[in-house]
Amino acid sequence: MKKFPGSKGLVFNEDLLINQSSKGLSGISMPSNNLSGAHISKTAKDYIDAKFLRNEKSSPLLLPEVSESTAVRHFTRLSSWNICVDTAFYPLGSCTMKYNPKINETIASLNNIRNLHPMLPAGYIQPILKIIYEFNRLLCGLTGLDEFTFNPQAGAAGEFTGMKIIKKYFEVKNEKRNIVLIPDSSHGTNPASSYIAGFTPVEIKTFFADKPADIKNKSKGYIDINELKKYINKDVAAIMITNPNTFGLFEKNIREAAELMHKNGSLVYMDGANFNAFIGNCRVSDFGVDILHLNLHKTFSTPHGGGGPGSGPVGVKDFLKEFLPVPYISADRQAANKKQAANDEQGYYYELKNKREYSIGRISSFYGNFAVILRAYSYLLSLGRQNISKISEIAILNANYMKKKLKDTFIESDPFPEELCMHECVLNDNVFQSEGISTLDFAKSIIDYGFHPPTIYFPKNIHGAIMIEPTETESIKTMDSFIDAMKEIKKKGNKYGSKSPKNTKTGRVNEVLANKNPIFK
Amino acid sequence: MNSFRYIPASNEEIKKIYKFIGIKDKKELFYKIIGDISLIEEKELDFMPAQMDELSLYKYFSDINDKLRDSGSIPVFAGGGIYDHYVPSAVDAIMSRAEFYTPYTPYQPEVSQGTLMALFEFQSMLASILGMDAVNASMYDGAESLAEAVLMSLRIYRQNCQTDSDIGNNKKIKILVSKSVNPTYIEVVKTFIKDLGIVIEFTDIDSEKGYTDAAHLTEKLQENKNICAFIVQQPNYFGIIEDLEIIEKIVHSEKSDSSSKPHLIVCSSEPFSFGTIAPPGFYNADIFAGEGNSFGNYMNFGGPLLGLFAAKKEFIRQMPGRITGKSKDSKNQDAYLFILATREQHIRRQAATSNICTNNSLNALRAAVYLSLCSKEGFKEISLLNLKLSHILCEKLIDTGLFSLKYAGNFYNEFVLEINNKKMNKKMNASVFIDEMMKKGILAGISLEDDGNEVLIAVTEKTGIKDIDNYVKRAIEIFS
Repeated sequence: MKKFPGSKGLVFNEDLLINQSSKGLSGISMPSNNLSGAHISKTAKDYIDAKFLRNEKSSPLLLPEVSESTAVRHFTRLSSWNICVDTAFYPLGSCTMKYNPKINETIASLNNIRNLHPMLPAGYIQPILKIIYEFNRLLCGLTGLDEFTFNPQAGAAGEFTGMKIIKKYFEVKNEKRNIVLIPDSSHGTNPASSYIAGFTPVEIKTFFADKPADIKNKSKGYIDINELKKYINKDVAAIMITNPNTFGLFEKNIREAAELMHKNGSLVYMDGANFNAFIGNCRVSDFGVDILHLNLHKTFSTPHGGGGPGSGPVGVKDFLKEFLPVPYISADRQAANKKQAANDEQGYYYELKNKREYSIGRISSFYGNFAVILRAYSYLLSLGRQNISKISEIAILNANYMKKKLKDTFIESDPFPEELCMHECVLNDNVFQSEGISTLDFAKSIIDYGFHPPTIYFPKNIHGAIMIEPTETESIKTMDSFIDAMKEIKKKGNKYGSKSPKNTKTGRVNEVLANKNPIFK
Repeated sequence: MNSFRYIPASNEEIKKIYKFIGIKDKKELFYKIIGDISLIEEKELDFMPAQMDELSLYKYFSDINDKLRDSGSIPVFAGGGIYDHYVPSAVDAIMSRAEFYTPYTPYQPEVSQGTLMALFEFQSMLASILGMDAVNASMYDGAESLAEAVLMSLRIYRQNCQTDSDIGNNKKIKILVSKSVNPTYIEVVKTFIKDLGIVIEFTDIDSEKGYTDAAHLTEKLQENKNICAFIVQQPNYFGIIEDLEIIEKIVHSEKSDSSSKPHLIVCSSEPFSFGTIAPPGFYNADIFAGEGNSFGNYMNFGGPLLGLFAAKKEFIRQMPGRITGKSKDSKNQDAYLFILATREQHIRRQAATSNICTNNSLNALRAAVYLSLCSKEGFKEISLLNLKLSHILCEKLIDTGLFSLKYAGNFYNEFVLEINNKKMNKKMNASVFIDEMMKKGILAGISLEDDGNEVLIAVTEKTGIKDIDNYVKRAIEIFS
């Protein structure tokens, strides 16, 4: 009998905190502030017109009334209902759920750093501006691009920024181009971002069938140059390519596609959410990419926070620098001389600038998610030039290890049996279906074995898709255990699957009910 | 020792994997995948610094932290969209739990009930603070949230237009914005709407009182057709409390000469104010968008922050972002999950209500923990404390004769002072004043304009009477 990490154990019930209230309790320590007697007795009416005041009857304030200890226990119990990277293998495809180094958290919690107001005079934040500047240089080196902006707060914001840059670029060139070509294997955010930026997204087919028998003739899993040519015309502003794509495959024709686009006067945008497959080994500039976004909360090890915050820096080639959003950081030796602020060993004085010739403008309240950038910078310094190339190499090795190891049982589910994958591998539901197990049942079943499910039903053109991304921070033992669990689920058949998960506190959640009659507070 | 501590694969195991997948080495691996595209060679990685051991790394950043003593641990009287509130230790303790900070977006509710229930509580608490029906599970920051509010209003407006022949679809749709809205927010809105064929127009502020000029608003609404929304900030950028009762009547009035009434979009960057003043929902706001960083979050040099988004119930299917809902599980227990996902990009692609995917969930959780600690009365008390302290500082500064109050309207915890240069021997503008105050260890405010005389000053519960008295004393020193 194999031993899996999943087990049963005592779990706590916990009600909503508001239901635990006792009138008059509070968990906050009120600062005394040394207010004098006269001020203590004053009420809001003494300062502002009574007509503005909040009225408890018409606007009841529904906050819990509990002690600090009750609140702490409440949220600690809640936390025990989550599976997370630190407790379990989390092979969520296209999400790069790698280990989040603890030193990065320590650094981001340093008190003076986290308490910085963003509008401090530049002379007082030189080390912070320097971190952002240096990290910019590192990302340029790793991608072969010439400058990054850190203002986008997550991947989708990065895509939006990139699309706006493309819009502005053609506006300045006085060309009307409204179409962005997007392969059907792209992330859902790609068409949404280009649409919101004012483009018409046009889908290119890259995958025509997922039955192994048809594959040889029709499907490749990446952009077909002849197919692409049909879409190219003078209305095309850009192509938006996720590379490696959501089949986990390298876009083999990306250079040729980029050449075609450039010949047509169009630009090449790369969704770099899956940059973990390249870091330290490939530069996107060698693929012909003009604009790229990265996800620091994926490749660069910053935690996902149960849905954010992330950071989605956008990098561009030289000719697009002036289109980047503001504010940005400039480093100037002369300014350093003038201000006599030579505390930087390179003699730079860093400043936040608000003007750029063709800038798309502002996209965030301040300068993006600095605390996320800080963690990512710390990650790169930990790795250094000695280890950086190991990341993508081992991420690819691990994904291919799983892909091959699954073959004896799941070969009929592999849409690309001949290909090496990159950072993740994708299966369809052929094998599970033959046992009457749906992809959803499989996903819920594997929870009982002590694993987070892979990404499911995505990409959409793979039937019942199961997308597995182990990342470089998982061991052979863990991957083997997961594969054994998959095989056992298949063996057990649908009787087990449809009732799972069984070991979790909460059983399968009724989605239909929730959407029919939404309760959201 | 050739291994790296984040990678649990020994050299032997790596060799084993290569052998298992039938590949010789890294070169062959990449060649088989990317073909003849050149790989980065070792010497080309010279731009990367050498690896740092954990101790060196800690010392490196710890040194930086020390250097920032004079900017990161001083009394902060600057606001302008982000406020320096105290974060209780219990918030940090809870939020340092990996169960909260290391999972992904809760796509699998059965193993994410902790995050989901906390987000549900976040939505519930915020809904009551704002007086709004529905709150989502967070946006990035106040500015982006407001831009999304505009896009949402536009969507609803266009849908209404399709069924209403009176309004020509070909006519330009406009949004109307009060000049008292944070200029950064306006910049971001402009970026978002730039290529969508929408025109932005502004309503003046009452130059004496500092709030939206109601007469000008009425005029603007009468002379323009096709206005989808009016945006106002509460309290506004200058800290002044807007009279939302009057504004709402004008915006939602039948006379606004449009069969499709404009939406009232209220934004805010200091929702702590709603512990004292009436919330946007009380005034029948259609959409609320704002900044929630004040609740349990650090300033983090401007990010990550907490975008708040709320709307009337009837618009819930047009809202951007994730919405947490309550349902039942197979054992008939209460269970939480993301609902109405068909609005979202991963299902609807370009037809989605927004492109947002990752949001600022962890910041929302921080807010949930913070507000849970506050309790109903505590929240009101802190809110009131902010109001009191700001009025105390304002009064004391005016008493020095060095400053005068720019706007006469009621303010919450932020206000604008003008430097009385005429009366003084030493002429100085706002930026110079702020620089001089920095030298004395106080972040005194924000200069409203380059070379201008106006300082925007904010006060929170974190600065006590001592800090306030010190501010006044130092200001006098600077001018004498």
